[in-house]
Amino acid sequence: MTVSNFKRSLRREGYALIAPLTLFLLALLGFPLVVDIVYSVSRVGFENIRRPELSGFGNYAKAIADREFWSAAWFSLRFGLLASLLEVSLGLALAIFLAPLLGKRSWLMAILMLPMMVAPALVGLMYRLILHEFVGVAPYYLDLWFGDSPAFFSNDNAFKTLVVVESLQWTPFALLILHSAYAAISLDVREAAALDGAGAWRRLVYIDLPIMAPAIAVTFFIRFIDSFRVFDNVYTLVGAGAGGATTSMSIYIYQAFFKAGDIGLAVAASMLLLGGSFVILFAVNWAGARAARA
Amino acid sequence: MGRIRHILAGFAALATLGLSQAWADVTVLGWPGGPEEAALRKAAEAYNAKAADADKVKLIFFNRDGFFDKLAADLAAGSKDFDVNLLATYAIGRYAPFMDPIALPATAKDVFGEKVLATMQYGGKQYGVPTDLSLHFMYYRKDLIDQLMADPAWKKRYEEISQKQMGKTLDPKSPDDWNWDDWMATALFFTKSINPDSPTRYGTVLQMKNLLFNMMVWHSTARSQGGDWMDASGKITVNSPAFRSALELYKKLYDAGASPKDSTTYEYAEANAAFGSGQAATMLQWNAAFGDLDNKDKTPAVAGKIGTAPPPAGSAGRFTHIHGLGLGLNKASEHKESALKFIDWLAGADAMEIYAKAGGSPALSDSLTAKMAADRPDLVKLGQYAGQYGFVMNGGTAAKALQVYELQAKEFTAYWSGAKSIDDALAETDKGMAELLKP
Amino acid sequence: MTKRLLDALRWLVFAAAAFAMNFPVISTFVTSLKGEAEISASPSLWIQRPTFDNYRAIFAMQDRFDILHFLGNSLVASLLGSVFAILLAFPAAYGMVRNEVGRKWLLPLVVNLRAVPLIIFAIPIYLMYQNLALLDTRLGLALILCLVNVPLALVLFATAIAELPLEIEEAARVDGADTRRLLIHVVAPMSLNIIAATTVLAFIYSWNEFLFGLMLTTSRATPVSVGASFFFAASGGGVRWGVAAAVMILATLPPLLLGLTMYRWIGRSMTAGAVKG
Repeated sequence: MTVSNFKRSLRREGYALIAPLTLFLLALLGFPLVVDIVYSVSRVGFENIRRPELSGFGNYAKAIADREFWSAAWFSLRFGLLASLLEVSLGLALAIFLAPLLGKRSWLMAILMLPMMVAPALVGLMYRLILHEFVGVAPYYLDLWFGDSPAFFSNDNAFKTLVVVESLQWTPFALLILHSAYAAISLDVREAAALDGAGAWRRLVYIDLPIMAPAIAVTFFIRFIDSFRVFDNVYTLVGAGAGGATTSMSIYIYQAFFKAGDIGLAVAASMLLLGGSFVILFAVNWAGARAARA
Repeated sequence: MGRIRHILAGFAALATLGLSQAWADVTVLGWPGGPEEAALRKAAEAYNAKAADADKVKLIFFNRDGFFDKLAADLAAGSKDFDVNLLATYAIGRYAPFMDPIALPATAKDVFGEKVLATMQYGGKQYGVPTDLSLHFMYYRKDLIDQLMADPAWKKRYEEISQKQMGKTLDPKSPDDWNWDDWMATALFFTKSINPDSPTRYGTVLQMKNLLFNMMVWHSTARSQGGDWMDASGKITVNSPAFRSALELYKKLYDAGASPKDSTTYEYAEANAAFGSGQAATMLQWNAAFGDLDNKDKTPAVAGKIGTAPPPAGSAGRFTHIHGLGLGLNKASEHKESALKFIDWLAGADAMEIYAKAGGSPALSDSLTAKMAADRPDLVKLGQYAGQYGFVMNGGTAAKALQVYELQAKEFTAYWSGAKSIDDALAETDKGMAELLKP
Repeated sequence: MTKRLLDALRWLVFAAAAFAMNFPVISTFVTSLKGEAEISASPSLWIQRPTFDNYRAIFAMQDRFDILHFLGNSLVASLLGSVFAILLAFPAAYGMVRNEVGRKWLLPLVVNLRAVPLIIFAIPIYLMYQNLALLDTRLGLALILCLVNVPLALVLFATAIAELPLEIEEAARVDGADTRRLLIHVVAPMSLNIIAATTVLAFIYSWNEFLFGLMLTTSRATPVSVGASFFFAASGGGVRWGVAAAVMILATLPPLLLGLTMYRWIGRSMTAGAVKG
């Protein structure tokens, strides 16, 4: 067999190997994407669900003009940023401070990882019970120690409550990744720094953190994406909120679809979200490539 | 090749684990999780004991959340998964295109009465048998109100508080004679942060979650001040003094601390938990809650101490929102004859007796409720109140009625939680409703 | 600060962090062991009279709330979903690494998929399923769960296969093995660790999925993550908090146990998935 023939048959075989996955993605993603695009420019509700009537970009205009669309986007953005910031900071601090402890007894890590194993939807339900004024644990103890417990879901507090709930569950993720990154800083580097007479604090700031910077960035990015598209715990804990105060982007789309039955609007909002995600992803990929080259 | 066939067979076996089975009986889709479910199960049991095999009924239930949306999607898609499905007064307009009108037996008129049968009618046709009527009671702590009326020290404090908070001196009255001011004064009196001697932490518990059912509870307030969705000519009349004062009532109570802090996330379950823990003196709540609240095992703090009165009177009279839950016939059903047999049986006095005794809340004629007064004293009141005070908003059965409720829930809870001004909320609601209720 | 003091402080911080982060499960577990009357009377973390009544009650109300049905749905759908993902991703990963196809478009596409809020596809998938009679079926749910898990699986497998020694594969080829035999008899056994870890991780993610379970099922295929919320909307009168808590504990037990026993593998996979992806 000639080299080029071999290469060609290798490729053909390769296509056969990735074919099942590709077909699956085409069916479950590609086709829905096409449907999404068609529905987003049609007037469609549950009654004419199989016969959408093309109607131009009215749905997009409606979504862009909808105040709640933007407040949902703003909610998701704030939520994502704040939660990720909290998780990365806390995770970093814990990873570094607890490193000696975790290094010797890795099973301690298992206990810290457990929060990630619980379904966020269930966490939301659990907190509904915990924060309930009359039968919940939190108000009981806060009342006992401080004489009063806050209104967890009032207009001012609901957002903070949700951020805390999310952060407490996902800080372990940051902890896990940053702990690995910290532990991976090679012994040589540490020894060299110690030899050079650098104190623990200087070592941390000038050596460890810069080496961990990529891991920190990646962790923040992943958590931001996940928190941006939050649905489960917010939905089960507070729902859309009084006046839509706790409506995240995903909840907005869900409400538009299931509660208002305005399929065209829901899909147009989804497409806008998709477009936005791509823009951000593209920017991040590009920034990452630049950083890699630098 | 043999190996691949084995593998494929394995897959097929795995995959069939995932596919659903076919059902053979009449399938009835009911309202989940509450006394209606328990009652329907008992009724179905009794029916199946006497029915022919081909007519036996099987019950299924969706999740309560998003129930009506899933039902709409399924009916519109011509689903055959159920033959008989739940129907609600406020959703008839939405589902009527996908359901068959039915003709109930002549005796149904004697069992239910015309007004109640009308809760299942649309466009002049009967679409279902009204198995449960829902309306609102003003629940109150009998023991506390009795004390309030008898104790001179309490009376004096009551007058002080009403003067200070509301600008007029009021005297305690029996809840059957309340108007909205009386309720407000009582709620303020029983709020610990206003009256340190109050035995309860809160005077009332308001349900202010962004939820369409909470709007129905609140509507009694608006209607009794003369409010309505539309006037006779179809013009939206939400931006009116009646709606305004009804909204302000709730806000005043919430801001004064008379209702729990997290009331903006409260619905049926949380409100009952608050009242049942003994920490709220009054509660405007669905009639269905009585059975469980009066239960010594579940809520020992208040069992036996609960009184019920119709909602307080307003300037236009005394009203309670009513709507019916019932069962109707899916147009796409393939077992219509058998399904109708079940529906007809359900509309009879015997069936309703079983249903009521098992926890359902049908609004029945006086003769029937008298028979069951020992087990279900609240049904006597239910039948009476429905006839005397029941109302449905003009437009409340329209095709987009549910969306109207959703819109109101969003806007009004925004006002109550302080996120929007009352003018903005009413204006937005008016605009939205004009769109939704366009003929 | 002396080393001993510092160590003690570390233990303290660890305990505090572990308690705070695991608090929902701890509190719910405590509540599940309290009687209904005690719950409304004393919401503290101390159980005056521990009882299994709530757990008994769950199984006594099977005609109203069939927890075994929900657990069964979760089990089947999650198993199918993770197995499907493995079966699709493993050959594809091999093809990408050894045959060098799809590197430029398939991998980035799948990786970026992870960043897209899947609700975007949920609506057309709902409509598609309705037409294909896949709504409210375990198979339908499993297919979506597979989709959710494919990105992670692909990345993990690609990384792992790239690190496998080529010599063993070349030796097998010299012996006359074609690619199919190679994958099944040589590469897979060598990658057992990563396959196991990925399957477990995929199973946990599938078990915890909520949105698709909410949208694509109504009663027959509802997983326990959605079924547990029935309880809060359900129950005339007060919500039966004790039983609700017991339901939530049962619903979260499988992933918790898996996490405890396989934490090392899962930890490594999560890290690798994050860094490479």
